[in-house]
Amino acid sequence: METTETIENKNISVQRTGAEERKLQFKDELCTACGLCEKICPVSAIEVEPTGAMATTEQESSKVDINEEKCVLCGMCACICPYNALDMEIEGESIKTMEAYPKLIKSAEINDETCIYCKACETACPRDAIVIARELPERSKLVTGEIEIDKETCIDCGICEEMCPADAITMEHKQPTSDSPTVSSDINVDKDKCVYCLVCKKACPVDAITAVCRQCSYGEYDIKPEDAEIEGSSFIDDELCVDCGWCQEICPVDAATVEKAFEGKITYDQETCQGCETCVLACPCNVLSFPQSAESGDKPEKLHIDEKYCIYCGACEKACPVNAINVERTGIKTTPIKSKSWEKAFESVKN
Amino acid sequence: MPIGLVVYPELCHGCGNCVVTCPVNSLRSPEVAGGKGPTDEVDIIMMVEDGSIELKHSEFCGKCGTCVRSCPVFAIRLEEVEEAK
Repeated sequence: METTETIENKNISVQRTGAEERKLQFKDELCTACGLCEKICPVSAIEVEPTGAMATTEQESSKVDINEEKCVLCGMCACICPYNALDMEIEGESIKTMEAYPKLIKSAEINDETCIYCKACETACPRDAIVIARELPERSKLVTGEIEIDKETCIDCGICEEMCPADAITMEHKQPTSDSPTVSSDINVDKDKCVYCLVCKKACPVDAITAVCRQCSYGEYDIKPEDAEIEGSSFIDDELCVDCGWCQEICPVDAATVEKAFEGKITYDQETCQGCETCVLACPCNVLSFPQSAESGDKPEKLHIDEKYCIYCGACEKACPVNAINVERTGIKTTPIKSKSWEKAFESVKN
Repeated sequence: MPIGLVVYPELCHGCGNCVVTCPVNSLRSPEVAGGKGPTDEVDIIMMVEDGSIELKHSEFCGKCGTCVRSCPVFAIRLEEVEEAK
């Protein structure tokens, strides 16, 4: 039996050969240096580098240091990591698929039946884990009207082309020659682009444009509701998703549901906080922000914390150089834990 | 190897940004919090002396990297050191 450690591009692999081959894998890019693995490790084999330094400065080393001489490859760190940065394989199979190992009960889902594909969750997701693909309806099917340019009356001024908000009018500009003394050879309206806003008609200095919006005059009688439907699909990358709750909170139609593994409380001492921003940069879930003053002389709270988005990992507490933040974990939801020592270890991350 | 605070006095321009932005310094010294170099007798992490940066009490450092971000010339860094102070 031999334990070996390999580090490649900051990713760590600790491997033990023997009757049963075990392999602990650490992915640096997913790690937030929150410190939970260090806290749960029963043999103090893991040391997490200073969270603030890892979040705010470029470092050549991995965010954690695993001592392969101490590591017993128990897999507790892989089971507690809320960021999927650690995994352990036994004989090539991840313990995350094994019933014998407890898993944090956490999930994030988007219901495509309810989703209106507004992309708010995609924009808000602090881990860039969401992709919303959508197919927009054809614009020409959502408007109806008529437009005609009287080319005899038109003086080729190009005002309508310049003003058209939909870029539907194209004039064929040219230099006049003695045999064709005009500044344009043609002017056309692309009826797939035109929205019948009538700006061109109003702007035309010689009234060469006749146009009418049929919806303004007669209502939506020839617009089919099915033509306005937006097709789409949502995708959450399970590896990147940390179940922070941003998608659920920002969704205007309650299509996203998030379940969190930890319950807790986060507080900070406004007197001690010096506003260095380290916690804001260290938080993987955008829980923290600095409020902007509404007007000069206005003094807002120093740090804004919204627990709706917090998963109580403790990265901010660990990052704060003046110990102004306190993260309290009061509950932890896992699948059944089968051993007493594991139960105790999971209890130990509460405080 | 552990990560610790390291200064490069030969690169330092003596601007004092790090001294003033350091949240530990400003918590310890009201003068530093007000943007002045300390004249009070409070122990702080680093000071500019004779125009160049000098580490005084790196044991107070919370390794947040605020000084690193404020330094225009990379004269103060958080990097791997033999022995974390």
